[in-house]
Amino acid sequence: MPTYPRLQSLKTINRAMEQYYVKRKLMARLKPVAYVTSGAPVEMLEAMGVLTLYPENYGALCGARREAVGLCEVAEVAGYSQDLCSYARGHIGAVLQPAHAPLNGLPKPDLLLCCNNICGTVLKWYEALADHYDVPLFVLDVPFQHGPQPQPHAVQYVVAQLEALIAWTEEVTRRRWQPKKFRQVLALSNETLRLWQEIRDLGRHRPSPINAPDLFVAMAPIVALRGTRQAVEVYRELKAELERRVADGVGAVPGERHRLLWDNIAIWYQLYRFFRPFMDAGACFVTDSYTNAWAAAEPVDLDDPLPSMARTLLAVYINLDLPSRARIVADLARRFEVDGMVMHANWSCKPFSLTQSDLQAAVREEVGVPALVLEADMCDSRRYNEGAVRERIAAFLEMLGSVDGSLL
Amino acid sequence: MSPYDAILNDLQTLGEMPLRRWRERFPGFRPLGFMNAYLPEELFHAAGFTPVLLLHRREDRGQAKAHLPGFTCWVARSALDQALAGELEGLAGVAFAQSCDAVQALADLWPRAVPQLPAFYVAMPHHLAAPAARSYLLAELQRLRWRLEEMTGQAIGDEALQASIALYNRTRALLGRLHELADRLPPPALHAARQAAFLMPKELYYPLLAQLLEQLPPSGTGSPRLVVVGSELADPSLYQVIAEAGGRVVGDLLDLGQRHFALPVDETGDPLQALADHALALLPTPTKYHPQRRRDAHLLETVRTRQADGVIFARQKFCEPHGFDYVMLKAALDRAGVPHLLIELEQTPHVGQMRTRIEAFLEMIGA
Repeated sequence: MPTYPRLQSLKTINRAMEQYYVKRKLMARLKPVAYVTSGAPVEMLEAMGVLTLYPENYGALCGARREAVGLCEVAEVAGYSQDLCSYARGHIGAVLQPAHAPLNGLPKPDLLLCCNNICGTVLKWYEALADHYDVPLFVLDVPFQHGPQPQPHAVQYVVAQLEALIAWTEEVTRRRWQPKKFRQVLALSNETLRLWQEIRDLGRHRPSPINAPDLFVAMAPIVALRGTRQAVEVYRELKAELERRVADGVGAVPGERHRLLWDNIAIWYQLYRFFRPFMDAGACFVTDSYTNAWAAAEPVDLDDPLPSMARTLLAVYINLDLPSRARIVADLARRFEVDGMVMHANWSCKPFSLTQSDLQAAVREEVGVPALVLEADMCDSRRYNEGAVRERIAAFLEMLGSVDGSLL
Repeated sequence: MSPYDAILNDLQTLGEMPLRRWRERFPGFRPLGFMNAYLPEELFHAAGFTPVLLLHRREDRGQAKAHLPGFTCWVARSALDQALAGELEGLAGVAFAQSCDAVQALADLWPRAVPQLPAFYVAMPHHLAAPAARSYLLAELQRLRWRLEEMTGQAIGDEALQASIALYNRTRALLGRLHELADRLPPPALHAARQAAFLMPKELYYPLLAQLLEQLPPSGTGSPRLVVVGSELADPSLYQVIAEAGGRVVGDLLDLGQRHFALPVDETGDPLQALADHALALLPTPTKYHPQRRRDAHLLETVRTRQADGVIFARQKFCEPHGFDYVMLKAALDRAGVPHLLIELEQTPHVGQMRTRIEAFLEMIGA
């Protein structure tokens, strides 16, 4: 079996995330704890000294540790259908039976911030959490965006809610709004964003210094530590390591022969294992639509933050219409010079998955690369048929090998 | 056949009629298909259209498969299947209002998949009490008005819109009455009478419904009294099975049921504002959020005022909003000691299994 070089800075990132969870466990009694969704304006809470936690990230963690199925089953016994999102089921299972959950569950929240720019599921999930913990919930309603630009009335709608969010957070945490601190946090957030964009862009090199499973590990800080000094530091380290690889001509997949694009959320319980046959065939996932979602934003305007934050919240990848998403993916395919796409038809994520066939067709019309669609689930491994998946991967790789990446 | 039976018969056939035959059945009207509970139907009506609900069908012609994965709810898949099979020919277009992720995805891929049928997408706040939700919705309705005016080449005046609102309000009032008298109709008749409201021109529907209400049989007693919860029940088999098992449907918490007709639109003042206020004032469906208007409290109130013996959840497979909603409502019913039963609906109803479970449930609640 070939071995593949490991990125040392991913260890730093994993350590940072461990500290993140430990710190929150320890500090939960001293500071207010907020659960937030992955598309929420976390910078506002960060500026007010609120500890934030991401049940979605925790769901992914349960998946990666292969503990999601047991927790999903706890939620299913409580009445949640097996067809519902496995992040939500896994986390709710951990809420109901923390003793059986990784890290013994998350610290209890004092407030909840749900932003629905990623899906409608989070709204129901957070309503359930608000009932269970009997804590205040702020729903930040971000309308789906049709067309390439946010509509002015949609921006106004979100801005009005961001203003209300500040007042609400002051009220429920009994903390004062800190405009200066907010500016500092936004500056760090912008820097984190820029670093994340640069890190992802290094995948354009041949060979690519980074592969999709590395990106899935590396993404945690852009989601959970945005607006902190620590995020900037770990990304500087990762970027430097990738630049060394580029300078030395080291690829994440030695002898890189095929360059692929990944679509949809990761299959967390198969994080590296899934990609192994691709790596063995010299195929590297040089880019993906999932971690790109946190790189596609414009930096926030520090002098007029709320309207620019509103536009960012509206323009989150998964909140954009099909033509806009197809344009983004086709652009990735071109810029990263990919020879094929692998699309994870993810039972748990309706916004990513339901339009995937049309997305694939639209991208193919633009850039003409072949695609493999695989049905699975991000956390619920009961939806993963390893044998069938392996067979289809082998056939896809054989097809890629026969054209030898000459389609482009 | 009594006039009562004749009207019912007439209404019952509508649910099975393919939409391509709609124009023949209702000459002089322009049908426009729509999905879900948040469409401002009056605005389309004032522009000269008759909004007709796209019901899911039992048949699968296999057309949607190339677009939507098998884990999409059948309501969305069937609409696309019908469109691609040419069953929606004759419609002036289709309209979707912002509701769940499945309808959003369907609306999103529609212009690509079915370019011959123009699609309207109407945004609708998810947080019904959010600051600025009203002005946002109003701006959306204004944009829709402009688009409809552009499409038809005719202005939609306030007076025309007010007339449409008055017509729809008349229907709402009658449907409110129908729901109050629900225990006097056999469940399949109740189902057909309500469903027809979404399938035929209101101009023709409300006189029929008014006549029907005048001729209702006297109240039936002794049967178990049930409340049905779910999204929309295109297929009448659940109500038929309940009837056969000796039950009565005395209330519902369906997205397109009682809650949908519960309030009139204000007929004074600016009609567009009145439509916005109305949409925000209704009890939310599970896709929406309102911190004060809780669905569990509303369900318990319905059970109490309708003196129901039990609740039947009719949940569409793969429906996320109702999947979560079920757990919250179930907990409230358990606390209040109200028996309930979950029936999962798929493409084709499993009538035999449904019957066994409903019979057992009715026996268990011992009414």
